[in-house]
Amino acid sequence: MLKKLTQFYHPTTIEEACKLLAKPKTAVIAGGTAEALRKDDSIEALVDITHIKELSHLDQDASTIKIGATTTVQEIYKSQKLKGMSGNFLKQVAGTVAATALRNTITAGGNLAAQLWWSDLPVAYLILDAEVVCRLGKPKRTVSVVQIINDTPAKFLKKGEIISEIHVPCFGNNTGCDFRKQIKTHHDYPTITAATRITLKNGMISEARIACNAVTPFPFRCQEAEKFLVGKKPTAENIEKAAEKAANSIKYREDYRASKEYRQEVFQVMVRRSLEASVEAAKK
Amino acid sequence: MANTTKKTTAKKAAPAKTVKAVKATKTTAKKSCKKPTAAELKAAQEAKEAATFKVHSAPVKNVVEDAPLFFEKKLPQKDTLQVGYPLEKVDAMGLVTGTQKYVEDIDMPQNLLHIKVLGSPHAHAIIKKIDVEEARKMPGVVAVYTYKDLPRVMRTTAGQGFPEPSPYDTPTLDQKVRYVGDRVAVVAAETEAQAEEACRNIAKHVEFKVLDPVLDTEEAMTSKSIIHDEKDAYAPIPIFYDPKHNHCSHVETSCGEGKNGVADMEKGYKDADVVLERKYYPHYAQHCPMEPHVCMSWLDENNRLVFRSSTQVPWHARRIMAQTLQIPLKRIRVIKPRVGGAFGTKQEVLLEDVCGFVTLRTRRPCIYRMTREEEFMESRTRHPMVVKIKMGAKKDGTITALSMRIISNTGAYGSHALTVLSNCGSKVLPLYHANNIEFIGDTVYTNLPVGGAYRGYGATQAAFGTESMMDEMAEAIGMDPIKFRQLNHIKPGESSPIIKALGEGREGVEMIITSVGLPECIEKGKKIIDWDKKTKAYKKQNATNPTKKRGLGMCCLMQGSSIPEVDMGSVLIKMNEDGSFNMNLGATDLGTGSDTVMAQIAAETIGCKHSDIIVYSSDTDMTMFDVGAYASSTTYLTGGATINAAKKVRDQIVSVAALIMGEDVANVTIKDSVCYGKKTKKKVTFSEVANTALYGGENVKKMFQVGAIGSHISHASPPPFAAHFAEVEIDTETGDIDLLHYVAGCDCGTAINPQLALGQVQGAAMNAISFALTEEYMFDKKGRMQNPTFANYKIWTARDIKKLDCFLAESYEETGPYGAKSVSEININGGLPAIGNAIYNAIGVRLTRPPYTPEKILAAIKAKKAEEAKASKAPAKKAKK
Amino acid sequence: MQLNCKVNGKACCFEIEPNEMLADVLRREGYRGVKVGCREGSCGACSVMFNGKPRNSCITLAAMAEGADIMTVEGLGTPDKPHLLQSCYVKHGAAQCGFCNPGSLISAKYLLDNNPNPTEDDVKEALDGNLCRCTGYIKRIEAILDAAQQMKKSAKSTRGKK
Repeated sequence: MLKKLTQFYHPTTIEEACKLLAKPKTAVIAGGTAEALRKDDSIEALVDITHIKELSHLDQDASTIKIGATTTVQEIYKSQKLKGMSGNFLKQVAGTVAATALRNTITAGGNLAAQLWWSDLPVAYLILDAEVVCRLGKPKRTVSVVQIINDTPAKFLKKGEIISEIHVPCFGNNTGCDFRKQIKTHHDYPTITAATRITLKNGMISEARIACNAVTPFPFRCQEAEKFLVGKKPTAENIEKAAEKAANSIKYREDYRASKEYRQEVFQVMVRRSLEASVEAAKK
Repeated sequence: MANTTKKTTAKKAAPAKTVKAVKATKTTAKKSCKKPTAAELKAAQEAKEAATFKVHSAPVKNVVEDAPLFFEKKLPQKDTLQVGYPLEKVDAMGLVTGTQKYVEDIDMPQNLLHIKVLGSPHAHAIIKKIDVEEARKMPGVVAVYTYKDLPRVMRTTAGQGFPEPSPYDTPTLDQKVRYVGDRVAVVAAETEAQAEEACRNIAKHVEFKVLDPVLDTEEAMTSKSIIHDEKDAYAPIPIFYDPKHNHCSHVETSCGEGKNGVADMEKGYKDADVVLERKYYPHYAQHCPMEPHVCMSWLDENNRLVFRSSTQVPWHARRIMAQTLQIPLKRIRVIKPRVGGAFGTKQEVLLEDVCGFVTLRTRRPCIYRMTREEEFMESRTRHPMVVKIKMGAKKDGTITALSMRIISNTGAYGSHALTVLSNCGSKVLPLYHANNIEFIGDTVYTNLPVGGAYRGYGATQAAFGTESMMDEMAEAIGMDPIKFRQLNHIKPGESSPIIKALGEGREGVEMIITSVGLPECIEKGKKIIDWDKKTKAYKKQNATNPTKKRGLGMCCLMQGSSIPEVDMGSVLIKMNEDGSFNMNLGATDLGTGSDTVMAQIAAETIGCKHSDIIVYSSDTDMTMFDVGAYASSTTYLTGGATINAAKKVRDQIVSVAALIMGEDVANVTIKDSVCYGKKTKKKVTFSEVANTALYGGENVKKMFQVGAIGSHISHASPPPFAAHFAEVEIDTETGDIDLLHYVAGCDCGTAINPQLALGQVQGAAMNAISFALTEEYMFDKKGRMQNPTFANYKIWTARDIKKLDCFLAESYEETGPYGAKSVSEININGGLPAIGNAIYNAIGVRLTRPPYTPEKILAAIKAKKAEEAKASKAPAKKAKK
Repeated sequence: MQLNCKVNGKACCFEIEPNEMLADVLRREGYRGVKVGCREGSCGACSVMFNGKPRNSCITLAAMAEGADIMTVEGLGTPDKPHLLQSCYVKHGAAQCGFCNPGSLISAKYLLDNNPNPTEDDVKEALDGNLCRCTGYIKRIEAILDAAQQMKKSAKSTRGKK
């Protein structure tokens, strides 16, 4: 494990960190849960970004929740600042991540950057249309979370570039979200992860999001099913059809946890129930 | 109400009890099982006579002649001062402040070597070539051993009484590897990383001839692949052993209405109104002690080999090491410090041989610690089994026939193969009366992880079969499942011929059951889970709720307390000047609290506080012998030894006190470390007694050390009883199962320390639950476990518990210390049947291949629907015809 | 390389390897209350307080602890002067083999530091990363709830005195 590691940096500014990360065989570390277990022996230097104050914050204004990249999952879960539909939803999802000590370690940015099939927050980011701020020293760019996930962060981020902040829009009335996953124990990798968001306008679905993980190798949005719902009434029939479409739009992962067939069947049920719950919440 | 039930029960049970007994044991070759020999007939006759004990007649004690006993008549709890109270666990403060020392917590010697063992990537292969020259030259590498370098000593790793009832089939290293993870080479290096590096290097320089693996339990005996084809594997005692057919052990016995007391199963089935036959498949599991196996060894100043090991069996370890390392036993010392949990997996002498060879050959201290992955793959597991139960019963609830056939999978080596198998019968079948009982068991070798002792020890697997069957049968004869059990379970004063017929590697010991707290376990458990109300309510509720179905299930359990006339424990107690006592005992506290329990027993007997007893366990140099912590024996067995030692010490104290006070010995009483003279009205403290004994006094010129050794063997193995209840909710669309409530009630006789006893019940119940629902070995097609981590092998966390209620239903066991029997193992047996029965109650499907995962539950629901659809079509067709 | 941090209130400077885990360094430096049970952050036996929050020291690179304030179970209390949580563990029989206790005590401390009024569910959640195979968790939950009660009482009485 990290056998060639000789250098460990603790920069205090983003600029400094990016400069260090531009060097060869250098990697970033925040929570470090992935690095510590990584069998990658090519890395010679690690840049610990947890001492950069700018990266650790959690704020919410009328329109946006801003989450610093090194904000821990536990900080999100226990935050007093997060409120409203989006805020409470993020808290709920964060509370299901792993276990307390790990929630104190895993970061908002790392959970996204590591791009793992068991990650929970990216699924929440996806259905909330989050945006990601990336910094390469001073210069920054803001991209949608869909884009960064579809490109995979490893490819998307330039050498020396880091995720600095995640912006989550605050959804107000008429919007409901739901997150659910199938796990054996509370501290487990999920077999199936599903999340949905529904926004209603005049009794019709004006926006729909359906995202998954664990059934897929990385977080994924079922856009075909989403499109199907837009402009329709949230009837049981439409919801069932959307769930079916979502379930059919995925190439399923298979491992010893569950067969493809089981995942598909139950994913559909979970999406249906999730949509129902989101619709209910949107009506409130 | 309760009384009437009891009466009818006794009446109905009567014919079953007179099962004029007993047996025909054939723990030897199965071919010889046809005609009983003259000797066997005689034995059967004797046993038959012995079994005609009347209810409440001769207590077991009378059978026991020369036993150094002791136990008082029933002491009401109020009269005790130390026993029966939740006194502080003697090592607790050290544990919670981090000062207690486990194996690795001492200062490491500077020249410590680190051991790594290269495990086989194949389930079944022969090492064709192995080149370790390069590895030997690698930085930091001090020693590399392959099968070519170490003496080939066939022995067992099972820490059992000697000679062991497990086959000698395990050399330290072999040219053949028999499961994924089996040892290929041993490396000792200056650092762990260097040792790992060398292992990786060796892995590149091994050539295997890969053989077909045997991976299916039921096909193992007919497989062309022979796992133990070596010539030198053998069974050290005269028992059945046929490795040429991957057949590791065989046990069969029967008793009932046939000639000479053997079973007439055909008659039993004929007498029945309903006969059911089912197969159940209890699965692999690991003990998951939080501290994995770890062992250190070094040479002391006298050139003796010292092991500091996380073990349940220091004495067996010492003996097996003398055997394996081929050095005199007197050169070996085994120290057991604090142990971070064991549950049976450390009843195995697993790491000591490797440490011993390294230390003897390099003359350097070394440490071998298993990683969590190795713990899963290379230590020991619960034997998975195929349990076939065939039962015949009359509509009135009489069980006319009960057949248990078991195929146990011991994996690549036969550790505990025979004894776990025979316990399937002996710790389960006596629970219920049956007119005819047969037990036929086989253990097979496969190329899968090695089975071993695991809390429950066969009873877990077998009880899953019988307790599921009890529910199925109750339904079939239209009787309430609890009533069916109450009607048939064993009552005080009764015996079961199975107890005598099935011992461990030999016949068992006849025993009359004297204490049965099961009725209370059942009644109280029913109340706590609100059985009557909820079973009715859920029936209605399930009919209307399409996706969420609730159900309740229960089961009854028994186990044993020690292995009678096999296990021995001993204790030394000596007095100090301040009136405290050192108690050095061999019994191994694994976290169970046995040190505390023994201190309470000693204190009660002597007449002091348990905090005045300084307990030290266990060290083969410093403490008395004990077989070790297994077979639910410590409280019951070593507790007896403690009483024996303490009584002698008390006598000595009394005699000194009598001399000091000028009082007659008979007139001296003791309370709270003070001796009182009845006539003289004088008193002396323990401290005065000790000082006088050591330094002399006016009337005491012959100084001596107050102290004594007590030993104990048991002639009985009184079963603790338990009843478990489960309440579940099933999601019929996803198969998700939610355990809403679990109740475990246990009769352990007197709870010496009720808090610790309850802790045993809670811990075992929790393990039972997670075994039933989430713990699973996932193998790939080549026999490699794919999930050997806590991230992927799921044991429950605190957050997973909805509601877990445990309670003790105390009884008084006359053969046990202050009325105690065992508590540690039994409660792990309830999860599979109780939850399985609850699932059936909720959704009408029976899962026979646990764990009960959502995917399996959903598949079963769908299969049932398909069957129902078929059935509804079928009569329609008939009608057409 | 050197690691400067605080352990149990004491400023320390340890010589470490860059790829070493914090658990190994702490154990080497004598904090043997830190136990290692899985080396993958799953069992929680190695939990230490890391800047006031529990963390699995077996998967935390020691170098990450630069400048950190660390507390192990030894810093929580000693046999002579135990922390209330430790006393409650003893009183309720929450220690069986004890191997997981140091870690779970750190988690319990974190809970009570942040939530003086925990419910049973809060306690269960706080312990979600500390596996225990001996106790079935029940006595531990009771012990922590008892400790919370006692802390509240003593807080009230001191306030009352003022």
